[in-house]
Amino acid sequence: MSTDTVTKAAGEPVKPVKPAKPGGLATKTLVLAGLTVFTGLVLAPFLVVLINAFKSSEDYSQGGPLALPSSIYLQGMIDFWNRVEFGEKLWNSFVIAASVAVLAVIISVLNAYAIGIGRLRGRTAFLMFFLLANLLPQEALVYPLYYLSKQFDLYNTRLMVIIILTAIQAAFGTYLLSSVFRDFPPSLLEAAALDGAGKLRTLIRVVVPTSWPTLSVLFTFFFIWTWNEFFLPLIFLIDNDLQTVPLALAVLQGQREVDITTTAASALLGIVPAVLFFLIFQRTLTRGVMSGAVK
Amino acid sequence: MANTRSRRGGKGGYLLFLLPGVLLFTAVIVIPLIMNIGISFTRWQGIGTPQWIGLDNYDRLIHDANFWASFRNIIFIIVAMVVIPTLLGLFLAAVLFDYVGKRIGPGTASVFRSGLYLPQVLPVAVTGIVWGWFLNSSTGVFNSILDSIGLGFLAQNWLGDPKWALWSVMFVMVWVQLGYPVVMFMSGLQRVDPELYEAADLDGAGWWQKFTRIAVHLIKPEIYVVLVTTTISALKIFGQIFVLTRGGPGNSTLVPSYFAWQNFFEKFNAGYGAAISTVLTLIIIVLTYVFLRIQTADERRGA
Amino acid sequence: MFRTRKIGVVAAALAVTASLGLAACGGDDSGDSGDGKTLRLWHYEGPNSAMGIAWAKAIEDFKASHPGVEVVYEEKGFEQIRQNAGMILNSNEAPDLMEYNKGNASAGLLSKQGLLTDMTEEVTKRGWDKKIPASIATTSKYDQNGVMGGDKWYGVTNYGEYVMVYYNKDEFKRLNLQVPTTLAEFETVMQKFKDDGKTPLAVGGAEYPAQQIFYQLALSQATNTFVDDFQLYKNKVNFQGPEMTYGATKFAEWVSKGYIAKDSAGVKAEDMGVNFIQGKSPILISGSWWYGRFSDEIKYDWGTFLFPGNTLQAGSGGNLWVIPTSAKNKSLAYDFIEITMKPEIQALLGNSGGVPIGADASAITDAKNKELIENFNKINAANGLAFYPDWPAPGYYDVLVAGMQNLINGSKTPQAVLDEIATPYNDNLASIGK
Repeated sequence: MSTDTVTKAAGEPVKPVKPAKPGGLATKTLVLAGLTVFTGLVLAPFLVVLINAFKSSEDYSQGGPLALPSSIYLQGMIDFWNRVEFGEKLWNSFVIAASVAVLAVIISVLNAYAIGIGRLRGRTAFLMFFLLANLLPQEALVYPLYYLSKQFDLYNTRLMVIIILTAIQAAFGTYLLSSVFRDFPPSLLEAAALDGAGKLRTLIRVVVPTSWPTLSVLFTFFFIWTWNEFFLPLIFLIDNDLQTVPLALAVLQGQREVDITTTAASALLGIVPAVLFFLIFQRTLTRGVMSGAVK
Repeated sequence: MANTRSRRGGKGGYLLFLLPGVLLFTAVIVIPLIMNIGISFTRWQGIGTPQWIGLDNYDRLIHDANFWASFRNIIFIIVAMVVIPTLLGLFLAAVLFDYVGKRIGPGTASVFRSGLYLPQVLPVAVTGIVWGWFLNSSTGVFNSILDSIGLGFLAQNWLGDPKWALWSVMFVMVWVQLGYPVVMFMSGLQRVDPELYEAADLDGAGWWQKFTRIAVHLIKPEIYVVLVTTTISALKIFGQIFVLTRGGPGNSTLVPSYFAWQNFFEKFNAGYGAAISTVLTLIIIVLTYVFLRIQTADERRGA
Repeated sequence: MFRTRKIGVVAAALAVTASLGLAACGGDDSGDSGDGKTLRLWHYEGPNSAMGIAWAKAIEDFKASHPGVEVVYEEKGFEQIRQNAGMILNSNEAPDLMEYNKGNASAGLLSKQGLLTDMTEEVTKRGWDKKIPASIATTSKYDQNGVMGGDKWYGVTNYGEYVMVYYNKDEFKRLNLQVPTTLAEFETVMQKFKDDGKTPLAVGGAEYPAQQIFYQLALSQATNTFVDDFQLYKNKVNFQGPEMTYGATKFAEWVSKGYIAKDSAGVKAEDMGVNFIQGKSPILISGSWWYGRFSDEIKYDWGTFLFPGNTLQAGSGGNLWVIPTSAKNKSLAYDFIEITMKPEIQALLGNSGGVPIGADASAITDAKNKELIENFNKINAANGLAFYPDWPAPGYYDVLVAGMQNLINGSKTPQAVLDEIATPYNDNLASIGK
């Protein structure tokens, strides 16, 4: 792995400039402290969400958003869970996000294999075609997709949301992977061809495993983006038992009032799975699989 | 090299791989796009029978001051969502990957990365509420801090003053967007062959030189992807505007997508909304095409 | 080694996706086809609000009086109904009965599209038209253009709402102030607070509250003719006329005198409410929808009075019960509405902090709640409900928010703001052919 190589390289005879480079304890501390402060500031809003998630509405009204809760109040969270059947919402979100992530990665890989590695003529035209899904403002799609979904009996189904979001996410994936695949090491493809592997086999045996870090980044993005998607599910998921986490949060925003503390509590409930998901996939993200496989 | 490879088996074989994608995109994107363009030539309330009015909606659009104002605002949003996060993201990704990752430990680097990415995970509605708490003129965190350190005169009505609202939205957007380029660039940096760095080490190159000459060059695909996708999402920005300012105060943060949405779902003026989004789509397509041409030309030069 | 593992993961994920995709297909068969055994009911009132409490009891009563009928109740998000009602009602997914917003841009629009059932016959047969006061019925009845105040009932409401003045009694006592009965007295009261170093009014300029204050001020100079012209398009409204001019200039004056904080343009309604609950500002001008929350959360002694000197007040009937044209069990829906009209349910609504139309005042136990309902009856007796300023044109809400923000920030003169809000109003008139 990359770290090993670097340390190994450090052992080789080098020019005397080397020791002067950053790496001293002082620099290390400075960099770490700087990053910690910066990241801390970035995360400060989350701290405020956390504080308010455990307040009662009354507590919030008396103390405002920044005061610490006068006592830990969990009833809001529990009431909300039961009121919207949050477990069901989590499951719906998971089903939709996971399906979209898997399908969109597959479509992206297939598209990018043809465009990036196949080097089809009219690459820009193909890319533009696929990128359209990402380019179109979503509100422009709503009425047409609504009438199409009724035509095919897909209105008010999770499948409809999965299909639309797969196309939208795959637009991004196709573009990213096509760009990355252009630099795909030809040696690997040639080796596969010499072994007599067909295009599909080459894709599955060589291209996919080699580009695994990028694919897992895509998978993570797709999952999280889909998880947080609000606008399209709002339009296509009518029955409460089909709805997703962000839609469940929306019942707290009334015509003229917002239930802030419960919103904070439910936001916390809603982001925990997404954060966990991200943290789990972090491990894959950090493995330098590609550089390892090239060797 | 590329030629020998593509000749074997012919390009037709690759076309087959595009089939599922092309079918899906035609059904979900192309047909609705055409329908939307059709709607833009009508007066229609979203239900009932559309009434053909030709180019009237476009004529109205050209004379609509709000529409043009919304594009002026978008330029600022692009700075906040594209320019600043990309530059800052490059720097942070480099520090995290090259320095923290290699000298302190990859675990530490990934903790920071997760932290920076977290704003992307927060639902947009909650983003609106939280930043409302921070930016509130009388009870907000920012003004309280300014007050408590004796800089009270710097306190502003961040979201309520037309002079500041757009800047406040920009600030929030940098916060939201930053994690995305960091994650993208760090994953790109993993593809950089360490031998190149070793070679550069032997040449006595400093960290910054290695970074700009090798890393930035090699993760160009990611940089382009980040630039293109964030530009697109900046042009389409809707959710954060909706929850933070609803285009206010006095239209000072109005953006095209929100303007289109207002017409679609508030005024039930779907024809006009469709015209706005058609023009917006056209602009995005042209910009993206220019980007892609630059990228392709750049790749050719690089190859 | 890990290569095979990963391919395994992908295969498993694919299998899961495929099966989920198939399962997802089954989402839209709603099952009931008018068998009279199911009532599908949607509303978007929170469970702790007055309406939420009353409707929950109504569901119970309905079940008791209709054994064997299943009630499928779903709590909806306001935004989903507001944005998508047209699409939902134009499909097979519509419920049998739902809560929906009153006004030309919502219930009016859908009635014009033929998506709502004309309830006129049933309303007369069941005598609801006798129970609902005329000024409240205005928002339930629409003409063929979808303009409210028409001749056909497309919805039924059985509660009301109105804008009033909430005040901090402790603060009034501290400065020895009386409840004002004229606008001049009201201004004196605010000046006293200003002199005492307090901003008298809590105002949210980023949302609906500011425009309602502006409207109240305009109404102080107005007659019912003005309201009919403005809201029901009876005649053209002159935005530079005395009513609107008074509203805008007075509002600007209140800002310059410090009654309304200069930094309130970015304040949301929620923050305005919290500001009042915390006692930071002693007066708040807003609607009866705050009443329940204030009862629960305010620690000091507080009360309400009608906007001083006005006979016309911003307010209206509540949201409507509507029956989609494609509803499958309409008679059950009518039965349910009947139950919500019962005196017991209406009394429950009133005792929970709502404003019922059919409650016997003697059935309301809390003195403060009684005052709330009596004030509403006072307005109704004078035919004084003037609706809200953002109703006359679709999307007018944002126009007014922007206009009021310009007044608060002083970035435009009252005359310029009135011109700015006149244009979309007149555009809308043109588009409906008036």
